[in-house]
Amino acid sequence: MTDTASSNRARASRAKGVSTRVAVHGVLAGYTLIAIFPVVLVILNSFKNRRGIFTDPLGLPGEGTFSLEGYATVLTQGDFATYFSNSLIVTVTALFLILLLGAMAAHALAEYRFRFNTLLGIYLILGIMVPIRLGTVAILELMVDLNLVNTLLALILVYTAQGLPVAVFILTEFMRTLSRDIKDCARVDGLSEYRIFFEVVVPLIRPVLATVAVFSMIPIWNDLWFPLILASGDATKTVTLGVQQFIGQYTVNWSAVLASLSIAILPVLGLYALFSRQLIAGITSGAVKG
Amino acid sequence: MSELTLQDVRKSYGEAKVIHGVDLQIKDGEFVVFVGPSGCGKSTLLRMIAGLESITGGDVVIGGEQVNDIAPADRGIAMVFQSYALYPHKDVYGNMAFALRHAGEDKAVIEDRVRKAADILGLQDLLKRRPKELSGGQRQRVAIGRAIVRDPEIFLFDEPLSNLDAALRVQMRVEILRLHQRLETTMVYVTHDQVEAMTLADRIVVLRDGRIEQVGTPLELYHHPENRFVAGFIGSPRMNFLAAERSGDGTTVTTQGSAPIEVPVSPRDTQGPVTLGIRPEHVELVAPGAGDLDARVLVAERLGGETFLHFDLGDEGDFVVKTDGGATHQSGDTVGLSFPPEALHLFDAEGMAFAPRERHALIG
Amino acid sequence: MSDPKTDKPEGVPTRPAGRRKRRRAAGAHIFVFLAPALLIYTVFSIYPLIESLRLSLFDGLEDGTAVWAGLDNYATLLFDPNWATQFWRAFWNNLVLFFIHMVVQNPLGLLLAALLSLAPRFGSAYRTLIFVPTLLSVVIVGFIWELILSPLWGVSETLLGTIGLAWLYQPWLGLESSALATVSLISVWQYVGIPMMLIYAALLSIPDELIDAARVDGLGGWSIFWKVKLPLILPTLGIVAILTYIGNFTVSFDLIYSIQGSLGAPNFSTDVMGTLLFRTFFGQQLQVGDTHMGATIASMMFFIILVGVTIYLALVQRRLQRYEM
Repeated sequence: MTDTASSNRARASRAKGVSTRVAVHGVLAGYTLIAIFPVVLVILNSFKNRRGIFTDPLGLPGEGTFSLEGYATVLTQGDFATYFSNSLIVTVTALFLILLLGAMAAHALAEYRFRFNTLLGIYLILGIMVPIRLGTVAILELMVDLNLVNTLLALILVYTAQGLPVAVFILTEFMRTLSRDIKDCARVDGLSEYRIFFEVVVPLIRPVLATVAVFSMIPIWNDLWFPLILASGDATKTVTLGVQQFIGQYTVNWSAVLASLSIAILPVLGLYALFSRQLIAGITSGAVKG
Repeated sequence: MSELTLQDVRKSYGEAKVIHGVDLQIKDGEFVVFVGPSGCGKSTLLRMIAGLESITGGDVVIGGEQVNDIAPADRGIAMVFQSYALYPHKDVYGNMAFALRHAGEDKAVIEDRVRKAADILGLQDLLKRRPKELSGGQRQRVAIGRAIVRDPEIFLFDEPLSNLDAALRVQMRVEILRLHQRLETTMVYVTHDQVEAMTLADRIVVLRDGRIEQVGTPLELYHHPENRFVAGFIGSPRMNFLAAERSGDGTTVTTQGSAPIEVPVSPRDTQGPVTLGIRPEHVELVAPGAGDLDARVLVAERLGGETFLHFDLGDEGDFVVKTDGGATHQSGDTVGLSFPPEALHLFDAEGMAFAPRERHALIG
Repeated sequence: MSDPKTDKPEGVPTRPAGRRKRRRAAGAHIFVFLAPALLIYTVFSIYPLIESLRLSLFDGLEDGTAVWAGLDNYATLLFDPNWATQFWRAFWNNLVLFFIHMVVQNPLGLLLAALLSLAPRFGSAYRTLIFVPTLLSVVIVGFIWELILSPLWGVSETLLGTIGLAWLYQPWLGLESSALATVSLISVWQYVGIPMMLIYAALLSIPDELIDAARVDGLGGWSIFWKVKLPLILPTLGIVAILTYIGNFTVSFDLIYSIQGSLGAPNFSTDVMGTLLFRTFFGQQLQVGDTHMGATIASMMFFIILVGVTIYLALVQRRLQRYEM
């Protein structure tokens, strides 16, 4: 083959490389813009006064438009401190229970051979396919009977039940890959099964626990359905419900509305920035096993 | 048509230089093995020949044509991967026919070529099976079959036997050799196993840290290693090394308090300590006092057909002597070690070998 | 006389007499580990589901007692004009929602995942940012888009104007003809991160050497995607489909309630099973809450999901084996 022919072929394959790269980045960057534009818009405008929001929604908060009046309204009018602490209590407690009870159950399923092992495993994991909301009618009646309506405990119990199936699924899969040797070694040393669980197994599954935590936390924090149905009282409102009703109340006061949205977004974004690697690792590992 | 030439080939990943100017000429139909420790760059070099890695500097020339920027499929190469890389969703026939089908080749031609390759490798009855239904050895054969079907100028093998168990490896080695005899195509083979290198290669290229240490036929490398690294890499068990002192500029050395030993090498004007080398299989066992050195047996490994005696000599690690299975030496015995002069190697302070005065009869 | 069988050789210590050996652990710990999770799960997840099914088979009387109704409630729901119109419309809307997700969200997720799997520069930045909407509460998502699409604020009109399409603007959320599609697309915007991540993970698990082999076989990027990568990730695509299905029939409530209220405004055009359930159970301006009909609707949703999952397991799962790689 002549030199020109081969250099033409070479040039062709190189050119293909560049135009592909441009296309790839074009699509990815384009969609990324679509994904975050609304969020950025809201946060930016929350720092503007009403006039700024209306007349120049796409501009940065500047000379005449920068204002914290929205935040002022939100922080004084809405009882966001309470909503926040409610969300926090519910999420953290439910998360704690999901991780603890889920890990215990997963340990039993992965470690020990006993008669109903497979059956119970399937039973617990069934919950992934069966959304808990479908039983809401009965859940509400149950809460009424137990006198738990408008309590945070109701939410905690429900979210724990909701989060257990996925947690058990992911944790069982992972625990099955742990080597038996280190646990057997502890048995030979005389540790009880409980001590083995807490002192040997739990430290080994810490990364997966972190992943499950981040994974489970988001649907709990963001949920609207159960706070609306089970705990809509003023004292027990969560941030999500609070924001939703605040918006309904203050629809015309745009600064306040935008500020309340930003307040609701920022904690989640903050946590995400810290834990995005674990979260993504969790989803991806679940996908491979699923 | 299928000569391969590497001219001052270099590779860097950003700041890190991995291949430092490799020059090599491979003749049409040769079986060349790249061998070296992990990280020496042998796989990288192979992938650069294949076109799977870009070339930072220098040229790769196949059949007289520079191929630096040409896609792998257009270079006239075929590759067999360490993990076989079979398409799980296709059966054996589909795996072998994949490339040709994609190129829009005529069905009759595809059928003909696949069947021929299947016959060569004994895969005729497995054509409808999926990879997961095959054993390791069978999968490896399908991977080779896939390469044969492409009718390449050059076959590239990237550690193809590493994933097989020992017995299978020996068997497949022979099959690959016979394949080469039958197809007579140029083959470039990468392995970290020097036994594979010795048994398969027409010529071996020993690599370390991205540089060629020596190129030669297996026997050339065995009998005349040009430096300590090659000497210690080729041959199993490894060559024994003893720190030694020269008397003057000559080629007489003493080691471990021995009498002067004359080494049949050309003298050189170098400074510094030297190292004596002799392979375990060349050391002769004699009565204490009757050889060059006396030593005490530490451990005796009896394999039935041969025995390995380990001695604690010098600071260069284990000193091993290979002797026949009938030897009765035991741990604790003192024996005399005799070093036939023609089996001795001498290395200078930088590890470079002194040239032998006469080359080995088998090499010429 | 010493018994040679039990005499130990000299020097080996004998165990002090009377020390009992501890028995191997009995099974109690298994129970302790499993019970709490099983308890909470059963009481608050499984039992309510079964109870809902049971409630659907009864009717409520004025005085609060319940009387057996068999499948009457179901018949009413499906055929009685008072209920059937709402039910079938909600069901249809759900199907439209599902269709739009399958046709927009999942191919988009596939595209983004495929591009990301090429490991371009800034890949992890793109991934992280594209996933942000999924983290947001539905309330936030709903309201942000309400604002952006609102005729009062005019942001969308302005934006469309920059590419010369300002005339295209309509208050889509408020129009019966477009509300459902708009809400569906907002939902796609929010959730596309999940199929993207799942498919991306599946693509990553394809061994590099397989792609190398395809390159050596002469395939370019596009062909590698269609002929090698896609067949190998079909099981994941199946999972994405079934998760979309389940999500659309349950979680869709949140977004629609936030934006359009429990009546699926405008004029029920965005009413889905979830809003129907909510409205029936709790009542609103136009009707009193009806526990039993609510339970019936919930049970219908359960059956609809069950049918979907069964079809998936029977047909899809069996054909799409997971390839050992």
